[in-house]
Amino acid sequence: MRVVIADDETLLRDGLARLLADASIDVVGTVGTADDLLHKVELTRPDVAIVDIRMPPTHTDEGLVAATRIRERQPTVGVLVLSHYLESHYAMRLLEEHPERAGYLLKERIKDVTVLIDALERIDEGECVLDPTIVSRLVGRPREQSPLDELTDREREVLALMAEGHSNDGICRQLFLSPKTVETHVRHILLKLGIGDTGDYHRRVLAVLAYLRG
Amino acid sequence: MARTLGGLTALAVGAAFGGYTLLLVRRAPEFSFAGASTLGAVALLATGCALIGSGVIFWLGRPASRFGPLLVTAGLAWFLLEWRNAGVGSAAVFTSGLFLYAACPAFVGHAALAYPGGRLRTHLERGAVAVAYVGGVVVLGLLPALLYDPVSQGCNDCPRSLLLVADRAQTATDLRRFGLYLGVGWAGTLCVLALARAARRPPGSGSAVLAAAAVYLALVATTFAASTDRGLLWNGTFGRRLWLGEAAALVVLACGAAWSRVERRRARAAVARLVLELSESPAPGGLRNRLAKIIGDPDLVLAYPVGDASSLVDVDGRPADPTTRPAQTTVLRDGRAVAVLGHPAGLLDDELLEQVAATARLALENERLQAEVRARVEELRASRSRIVATGDAERRRLERDLHDGAQQRLVALALSLRLLSSQLDDSDAARLHAAEAELDRAIAELRELARGIFPTVLADGGLAVAVRALAEDGRVPIQAEGLPERRLTADVEAAAYAVVAEAASTATAGLRVRGSERDGLLVVEVHTAGIGTLDQASLEDRLGAIDGALSIAQRDGGVTIRAELPCAL
Repeated sequence: MRVVIADDETLLRDGLARLLADASIDVVGTVGTADDLLHKVELTRPDVAIVDIRMPPTHTDEGLVAATRIRERQPTVGVLVLSHYLESHYAMRLLEEHPERAGYLLKERIKDVTVLIDALERIDEGECVLDPTIVSRLVGRPREQSPLDELTDREREVLALMAEGHSNDGICRQLFLSPKTVETHVRHILLKLGIGDTGDYHRRVLAVLAYLRG
Repeated sequence: MARTLGGLTALAVGAAFGGYTLLLVRRAPEFSFAGASTLGAVALLATGCALIGSGVIFWLGRPASRFGPLLVTAGLAWFLLEWRNAGVGSAAVFTSGLFLYAACPAFVGHAALAYPGGRLRTHLERGAVAVAYVGGVVVLGLLPALLYDPVSQGCNDCPRSLLLVADRAQTATDLRRFGLYLGVGWAGTLCVLALARAARRPPGSGSAVLAAAAVYLALVATTFAASTDRGLLWNGTFGRRLWLGEAAALVVLACGAAWSRVERRRARAAVARLVLELSESPAPGGLRNRLAKIIGDPDLVLAYPVGDASSLVDVDGRPADPTTRPAQTTVLRDGRAVAVLGHPAGLLDDELLEQVAATARLALENERLQAEVRARVEELRASRSRIVATGDAERRRLERDLHDGAQQRLVALALSLRLLSSQLDDSDAARLHAAEAELDRAIAELRELARGIFPTVLADGGLAVAVRALAEDGRVPIQAEGLPERRLTADVEAAAYAVVAEAASTATAGLRVRGSERDGLLVVEVHTAGIGTLDQASLEDRLGAIDGALSIAQRDGGVTIRAELPCAL
């Protein structure tokens, strides 16, 4: 897999590049600003661009804006935004527009090479990825009387994985369940929460997230 | 009382002059301007009486002004034109006529330029009026009268001239001709000056007086010009028509001057009403509206000097600038400026202003004190707002430093440890893992800290988004509805968010947040069944900085915090 890394912190950029190289991922470019990133992506056409959300000049959401732009201009290039923000608002700004080939992870995940590579691979396959910590905050936030209370523990696990952007196959692998069992769980969850199943993977992720955020 | 008597005397003298003049005219109409016609008689009497009557009215209303007496004098002089009549019989009357027949235009010009205060204002005006007097009374009147003997010139019925010192008929004619040429000059000049004055005044009785005077003076100049080849004021058909025109213009002038007194009286009645109303203490801003009505200028600016008098504010304490209006007038009390009025030029004459100022001085002083208090309050609010804004900017900077500095370093460090651990044997790696776990906690804590210092999501997404994000935090359930999705100003968003965030951080039960927006006022109500101790002072600071209000009430078995935030659309 070929990736480009955009982060204004040199130490981090180089460390991440080394880590990915050790995992046999081809780092075709490292850049420090959003403009350089767009240019590099244009030139190298990587599979995924890994983008820090805060970059010069304002250090607020330049990375997010650049990632959205990449998804608009180069539909074949996936983006993985690395962020410090726990609020789902920022993740949704990315995913709501372009759920396919897009991911949003908390920055500290980068040292967890298996999580990182799993995310990169899923993005490369067209899935969307959302950080487990953000999802667990959404699932676990206090609510006054909610259909979520009626879910079994296993169903809550499946729901969280759905919200993280896993496909049914992915959930099977994560929970060591048979495809049939997972399908049953998914059907029950959607029924209990009153979410219509369109059968479309990306729409299902967004519907689940919208439910959890609402 | 004495003044009324003086006025009555003037009227009586005027009436006597008028009656006597009419008799003279009737005795020898062929030598007069009024002639034998009824129209001429009416014009003669109406004009003289109107000038004298109007002058008396004006003088009674405004004794300090010379305008009234000047107008009375002009009225008498109007009659004297007809006394220079060969058929008058009396030498004294005839001589008066010879001497003063051309004095009327000089008096009218003087009166008009001195309207309404009675004083000439520029050297040019003073010069022109002086020339008019010399030209009208001396050059056209006195000097020829000294040298001209009508009897020796073949007018056997003419009375003798009592002023005659030497019979120099040719010199007298030359002098008169020179006087007529000069008269065209001064009458024209006075006409132009009166027009210039009229143009500077707002439309109304004042400008009518000046315009009528200008018309009269133009007609006089024309009469002079038409008479130069004869060397005598000419009472032919054309001359009589001009004279009728002059009469009409003078009647208009007299009526305008009288009407201005009526208007003045009305204004004074309004001032009297003002006294009554002021005793009932009008609502703030009411004084400006009252004055605007009396003075007749809806855009009147009423500004109060506050502090060391270097800044001007309106009654609400907001900066006001009277220099946006063409003219300014300062109302003084004990030599100190109480208020500054900004108004159209020429609208406020000294008299009315003095009345208004005298009447309203106390009320103005009272409003000035109110304005001063409000200005102080406004200053305080501004400084509160600056403090809050500075604090927010500082927190935002801190949040950035934490994220972009410390947190980035810690993540980089975690990455380095991970890279290192891959090169270590298992037991060393296990020890390193403990350190990594510690580092993970530090990163998470730092993130929470940064989020608490400044909510980036508020600046990025606005109030509704930030409150939804707050609901993800997981302390207590938060149900929010009605919060505006649109962006408000940063200080309003920060204040509204602070109220919800403060409630969320101290609540022991779920929060219900309700927003509503109407007429530029955002109301945020937070209701909860249980709450700890709020940092009320800091919330009040934030709300005070934007002119908002905070109230906390026990309601429905819980507490409702209500914040009102002005937010212009």
